[in-house]
Amino acid sequence: MMNEITQMLVDSAARMFADGSTKAVLDDVELGVYPQALHDMVVENGFDRIGIAAEGFATTDVFELLKSAGRFAVGVPLAEMVLAARWVGESGDFVSIGVVEGARVAQVPWGRRADRVLALVDGAARIGHVCHVTTGTNIAGEPRDTVTLEAVEEIAVDEGPFEMLALSRVALMAGCLERVLDLGLTYAGEREQFGRPISKFQAIQHALAVVAAEVAAAKRAADAAIDALGGERFAQEVAAAKARVGEAVGIVAEAVHQVHGAMGFTHEHELHHFTRRLWAWRDEYGNEVFWQRRLGGHLAKLGADHVWDFVATQS
Amino acid sequence: MLLHFDRVSLPDTAQNLRAEVRTFLTRHADHLLRPNSDFSSGHDPAFSELLGSRGWVGMTWPKEYGGAERTFFERYVVTEELLAAGAPVSAHWIADRQSGPLLLRYGSAQQCARFLPDIAAGRSFFSIGMSEPNTGSDLASVRTSARRTDGGWLVNGTKLWSTDAHRNHYMVALVRTEPPSENRHAGLSQFIVELSADGVEVRPIRNMSGGEDFNEVVFTDAFVADDQVVGEPGNGWEQVTSELGYERSGPERFLSAFRVFVEFVRLIGDDPAPHEAAAIGRIASHLMTLRRMSVSVAGMLEEGKSPAVEAALVKELGNNFEKALPEIARLAAPGGLSPGSFREAFTDTLLLSPSFTLRGGTREILRGVIARGLGLR
Ligand SMILES: Cc1cc2nc3c(=O)[nH]c(=O)nc-3n(C[C@H](O)[C@H](O)[C@H](O)COP(=O)(O)OP(=O)(O)OC[C@H]3O[C@@H](n4cnc5c(N)ncnc54)[C@H](O)[C@@H]3O)c2cc1C
Repeated sequence: MMNEITQMLVDSAARMFADGSTKAVLDDVELGVYPQALHDMVVENGFDRIGIAAEGFATTDVFELLKSAGRFAVGVPLAEMVLAARWVGESGDFVSIGVVEGARVAQVPWGRRADRVLALVDGAARIGHVCHVTTGTNIAGEPRDTVTLEAVEEIAVDEGPFEMLALSRVALMAGCLERVLDLGLTYAGEREQFGRPISKFQAIQHALAVVAAEVAAAKRAADAAIDALGGERFAQEVAAAKARVGEAVGIVAEAVHQVHGAMGFTHEHELHHFTRRLWAWRDEYGNEVFWQRRLGGHLAKLGADHVWDFVATQS
Repeated sequence: MLLHFDRVSLPDTAQNLRAEVRTFLTRHADHLLRPNSDFSSGHDPAFSELLGSRGWVGMTWPKEYGGAERTFFERYVVTEELLAAGAPVSAHWIADRQSGPLLLRYGSAQQCARFLPDIAAGRSFFSIGMSEPNTGSDLASVRTSARRTDGGWLVNGTKLWSTDAHRNHYMVALVRTEPPSENRHAGLSQFIVELSADGVEVRPIRNMSGGEDFNEVVFTDAFVADDQVVGEPGNGWEQVTSELGYERSGPERFLSAFRVFVEFVRLIGDDPAPHEAAAIGRIASHLMTLRRMSVSVAGMLEEGKSPAVEAALVKELGNNFEKALPEIARLAAPGGLSPGSFREAFTDTLLLSPSFTLRGGTREILRGVIARGLGLR
């Protein structure tokens, strides 16, 4: 059960995202236009600071917020804003986050706009000023730049930064999956063929039932990983969640596109903003197999006769 | 929110029981010889009686009827530990999960007093008599019928696929007590039929895995006394649809193939190749999630809700998982199916697997239930 503070946070975020993350904004984002108005709203309302311990929110609230952000495919790099503020503190700088790749830092959301970038390497982190940017995008058209840093310093993050970023994608996907289910249900109820709504055809009903099952599983897996924050099993729970939610993505996106017919294949329809983000996020911070291997390696070390105990003593 | 599975954790009281169950299982390891963890393929009355004497059958029922007044969470822990260990639970399973709760809810005080204590002792076993030769998914079409006679009813007709009817004591049979009418769900009743009674003929049917678990049960003027009618005559449909939350969401809906996983991990050892580790992790990620969803439903049951749609979701996902697990393991198993404990668990489970998405409501029927829950029908 969500407590009242979390519920208020999520509700007010949802209202803000609904206003600030419209189809027009999402289209702009993909043309490289930064959603400044939404950004300003996020900052004015303090959403970027909720990960800072002194603000009085629980760490889990960060990820509840990201679930809501995923529902609206928010165009600002909210996960990076919140986690950077948590680890670096408030600085007034725009700090984004990426992964060290050779001498550079890759996969940086809106690296082109960042003053500084936090770079993850082998479970540790460092931070530096951006001195060179090669722009790029993920499959959803979200900016994912490669940057070179200068004046780099080590920075202590003692809570598994890579897992935290992976969990951010889990939370975003969980919210986004729910939205895609809703889009599928709505469209199936509205679209008529053969004189009735397509939702009356058993094949469509079954397709959406499968989608609902996957979405329910993804949400439960995401919540479990969120609940494991700060616990001993955090790494394994993130692994399980990123793997499970990633699997759901493929099934859900495919089925809901099928339900939408040609309309869902158009640029004009909003569905692709969500499905393409799902396809992008499942590959960021480790895809399904990456995390399956981590989890599987852990269980293999525990041994066959301890596998059940591992499963049964979960919260 | 649509189909939400709350974050429910098992309370400490339930977790504490786990160690007790494991100690019990270690002590009675001679009963754990099956290579699979399918809930309906190990019939062992002696084991059921041992469980009964520990208070682990009818756990949630009132003490007055032999129960232990424990929570659904505690029952959850006991059942999942038994299944994961591959324990032979089939003898008492249906009575414990279904028939007992049915009587508690709809039966008379006299019926409860008569039947429940023996069930809870692990000595009285029940079968389900719903399906017939011409009645499968369309349950309201049952033709087995009963007509009034002195002090009771005479039953005629045939039940099919009745699991363990050849070795259980009673069957709860869904029968027509009034001719079919406009309302297909009217005129149906549930009877407690003694399987050894005159006019009841039970013929085992061999399944494709070689087992003889399910049966054809033919009634020829079989007498059922009035006091063996569950609730009111005509109330049968409500009864059969009311317990779906219990029937469909438990750990038996996703643990049938669990032993394959254990033997797979054993086969691979502690230094897995990348694809082997991925297979283990993939299975585990599903299992961990399913178990949490199933515990969420146990939480809803504990709160007195009847989560039929959520239960259908767990069964849909769980049964698909039970079928996928052996396949994922097979393709990643080093040495393929060379002789050994992995092969044994795999073969045993694969041969049972077609039944996973049939028994207890087929995949297609469950998807229909979910679709209704989504407002599509
Ligand atoms: C191992 C095992 C144990 C069993 N034990 C018992 C027991 O103890 N007691 C008991 O009463 N029954 C038992 N059953 C029977 C079980 O409940 C039925 O198998 C089940 O209800 C389906 O009925 P059917 O097999 O006649 O299939 P059918 O209903 O004939 O279905 C055949 C196929 O058609 C599909 N189908 C049917 N209707 C629809 C529809 N409206 N829309 C889409 N698809 C549809 C089904 O999903 C299935 O794929 C057992 C079955 C098995 C396999």
